[in-house]
Amino acid sequence: MKIIVRSLVIALAVTGAIATSYANAASSKTTVTAPVNIHKTSAMPIPGCPPSDPGSC
Amino acid sequence: MLTAHFLNSLVYVEVLFCLAALCAITLKKQWPEYWSLGAFLATRFLSDIILLPLLHIKLNHANDSVGHSAYVAYFYIYWISYAVESVLALLVVYSIFRLAMAPLKGLQQLGMLVFRWAASISIIVSLGSAFAPDMTRMRYLIAAISQLQRTQSILTLCLLVFVCFAIRPMGLNYSSRIFGVSLGLGVMATNDLIQSALLALNPHINSEYSLVNGVVIGVVLATWTAYFALPEPKRRLIVLPTTSPFLRWNQISQVLGDSPGFVAVGGMPPELLAPAEIEVMNRASRKMVVPFPRSISA
Repeated sequence: MKIIVRSLVIALAVTGAIATSYANAASSKTTVTAPVNIHKTSAMPIPGCPPSDPGSC
Repeated sequence: MLTAHFLNSLVYVEVLFCLAALCAITLKKQWPEYWSLGAFLATRFLSDIILLPLLHIKLNHANDSVGHSAYVAYFYIYWISYAVESVLALLVVYSIFRLAMAPLKGLQQLGMLVFRWAASISIIVSLGSAFAPDMTRMRYLIAAISQLQRTQSILTLCLLVFVCFAIRPMGLNYSSRIFGVSLGLGVMATNDLIQSALLALNPHINSEYSLVNGVVIGVVLATWTAYFALPEPKRRLIVLPTTSPFLRWNQISQVLGDSPGFVAVGGMPPELLAPAEIEVMNRASRKMVVPFPRSISA
């Protein structure tokens, strides 16, 4: 049990660290073209378009 | 079509699990300890309850002014609730650390001080690093929120690793609510970081990722509900050897920041002393006079 939980936690931490490095590398190379590139962990649809033009994306 | 139906049902699952977790916290009288998590869940529940009808109005009136107004309201409520939840998530991390370290008051104080400094510096660095020349206000806000979200996720993962590896010295086990809440936060943080990386590399997978988001939040809320609904095992008695560095650091941390006492080392005029104190000192001096031995007996 202890080994399983510790392995899971280490996997989460390592995945998070790798994802952070990828996100930093990607954001330093590219400019943000989409109106938003983040959203919360939720099943609700993401309102990505600006309020003035809902059909733009 | 099947995906849309599944996503739609995930929205209702999220609302139901949010309510279930809130009920479990309330019924088990856990609000004093987990008020920040309760506030986080309440914000999520309220925003979902408001966003759901707005979403239906928008879908039913796609091409008229009613649909447009519903979208504007949806847009602002979604992002405002996201900002509030991000701040509350940081407070949840802070309160979980405080609860985990409760038996070791000294280390708790020191850790909270370090946490406050780390969080403050991270926020300042996030706001500073988001700035770039020729940037519009909207883009600056997006970049700053994105950096803040990454900072909060990294802090959450650090807390999870700490709680997981220091769980036994703190008298906890894997059935403890502190661990359950940390695990849920850690899964959410990892999902946020993966999502942030994927969306930066490929911005067109937004809608596909909503499905993953829906499943992850459902699993996290179910985990929290289970941890709060089930009885929590009592915290074990923490026994440390007297030579333990953990104990020594706790003692050192407990006295850090205390106001020091003062002692007079010289240059004290007799007028500062009360007559009774002078009398006591005189008598003590007389007792200290040792007569010189006249003869040494064999």
